[in-house]
Amino acid sequence: MARILLKDLVKQFGRVTAVSGVNLEIHDGEFLIMVGPSGCGKTTTLNMISGLETPTSGEVVIGDQVVNEIEPGERGLGMVFQDLALFPHMTVFENIAFGLRVKSVADEEVRRRVLQAANAMHIAPLLDKRPAQCSGGEAQRVALARTIITNPAVFLMDEPLSSLDAKLRLDMRTELKHLHERLKATFVYVTHDQAEAMTMADRIVVMRGGFIQQVGGPLDIYRRPANQFVAGFFGTPTMNFLQGKVETDGGRLRFRAKSIDFLLPAGAGPGSGREITLGVRAEHVLVGKGAQPGRVTLTEPLGDETLVFFDYGGDAPLVAKVSPELHLSSGEAVTFGLDEAGYHLFDGATGERLN
Amino acid sequence: MAEAGARPSGGAAGGARIRAGRGGGLAAWLAQERVFRLIPFVVVEAFFLLLLAVPFLLTLYISLLKWRANRPFEQAFFQGFDNYFDVLSDVEFWWALARTFYFAGVAVLLELLIGFLLAMLCAQEFKGRRLYITIFLVPMMVVPVVVGYNFSMIYIDSGPLNEVLAPVVQLFGGDPRIRWLSHPIAAQWAIIWADVWQWTSLTFLIFLSGFSALPPQLIRAARILGAGRWQIFWRVQLPLLKPVIVIAIVIRSMEALKIFDQSVLLTFGGPGNSTQTVAFYLWRQVWQFNKFGFGAAASIILLVMFSALIYYGIYLLVRERATLQREGG
Repeated sequence: MARILLKDLVKQFGRVTAVSGVNLEIHDGEFLIMVGPSGCGKTTTLNMISGLETPTSGEVVIGDQVVNEIEPGERGLGMVFQDLALFPHMTVFENIAFGLRVKSVADEEVRRRVLQAANAMHIAPLLDKRPAQCSGGEAQRVALARTIITNPAVFLMDEPLSSLDAKLRLDMRTELKHLHERLKATFVYVTHDQAEAMTMADRIVVMRGGFIQQVGGPLDIYRRPANQFVAGFFGTPTMNFLQGKVETDGGRLRFRAKSIDFLLPAGAGPGSGREITLGVRAEHVLVGKGAQPGRVTLTEPLGDETLVFFDYGGDAPLVAKVSPELHLSSGEAVTFGLDEAGYHLFDGATGERLN
Repeated sequence: MAEAGARPSGGAAGGARIRAGRGGGLAAWLAQERVFRLIPFVVVEAFFLLLLAVPFLLTLYISLLKWRANRPFEQAFFQGFDNYFDVLSDVEFWWALARTFYFAGVAVLLELLIGFLLAMLCAQEFKGRRLYITIFLVPMMVVPVVVGYNFSMIYIDSGPLNEVLAPVVQLFGGDPRIRWLSHPIAAQWAIIWADVWQWTSLTFLIFLSGFSALPPQLIRAARILGAGRWQIFWRVQLPLLKPVIVIAIVIRSMEALKIFDQSVLLTFGGPGNSTQTVAFYLWRQVWQFNKFGFGAAASIILLVMFSALIYYGIYLLVRERATLQREGG
């Protein structure tokens, strides 16, 4: 059983509060990703699960046991670090064997399990090398092999892919997902990269300023962000935000912003007179359908689609995703509309979701 | 840089241009690329010749002469390698050499052990850490002569050291007036401890920088993998500190073999010759007995002997530095 429970977890460093009362249940066998900007408390939370940091208050429960007072090495965890933390003075073999050596496992057994782990990670030919002689991807696999050899029930990963180049990072994502499926262990993964979180996670925890903002599946978070911060953090390009006010217009609600206004769908949350932020993703900005005029300022062809930035008279340009067949150039006049289904309404002051 | 790139074969073409354009004068000649880049080299070499090569050649020359400084130089005469035979057949020379290795060996060993322990303690986080580090570094900055005088006061028969030790010594029925500087064995230890007091600072500093350069992530990784404190020390920290340990051994050994000040200031080589180091032996032959030719020959012999050691030491330093760079990258 590798269910993890975090109860009112708080961590303070001097006067700075890194984690402010986190409550979270991580299910057995789940791939959970904690994501957020730097300084949001995600790594500190991970370190408290691992035991490398002691909580200021609150409890960490692994299985059925409160582990606050238990040494990191006795919690049954494996951890992969951001800089991998391979021992530079040992061969790859000894690096992988380390977890068994410190438990005085017999030589024969060590050899057998190291070979097994090395074969599983496809690094058997590297066993006599030093970490410095391995490439980035190879070192990554060595770190994983060193972690899986002790058969931990929980894998903690602190931005393990951030030192790899873009291509390798994509390959390793797939590989980690396969590893998770094969081992059926609980994975707790920390990253600041929303794309990594979207592609790998069963569930995502979004953090900011030491607080959890939202917990949910990747598509839930993408489709129904709990607040403006989450909405802006997920998705490329960033969601369009329009600041405005809700007004009543003949029995229906109308959103009025600088040089633009729209009818809100019936049953939309906010009452009349309220300051709100309307969020719309680029795929819900419909160029060529609708009556609002705008002028193209920039296009970014991505191959399968093209991003069009255009000025409509508001504070910031809007971005839309269009078919690559639609050839637009800078300065060209366009008309556009917004897809009602893609409206995200947030409170103008607190940023909380309203619809 | 751009101009150098524009004319790849700088020497001939560039030189010609400058020659054509110069209004005469040293500055223009020095400014030529092929001359200018030699300037630092020439300056260093000039100093080298003046400060090292000239005295060395003079020493070599004097070592071949029969010359006592209390007689006029005109009476000196060439006598081949006689001085060298005299030195090598002088028992006192070999004793002094052996004693030097003994002092250096024991002192360096103690300095390494104590320095390592202190650095290990100061590498932890605790209140007042910086103050302790500062205190531990002070001895290294004290002028050796001052250290010598301080210790000669500490060691006198009715001095503070015996005062402190008296209750313990009396407990075992001993004479509380230990003759630190006039008993042959006690005097040797007196010199060793004075050296240890002064130079443990240096090994402490070297090890402290070694400890603080250890990546904390490695220790965290080892903890997660289940290693205890001792296992982390033996399997991770100590092997990673090996280059630093070698560096400390080499640097301190090179210095310790030159031990001179303490044996002059504390005991003047005595009692008997029991604290006479090889550097002191040399100094005494030349400046007390005026045996210039003999002293010169002895110093050439020592130079050859120590060079071999120092080259081996430098080889070790270079090798460990390469290890550090490889493992660091």
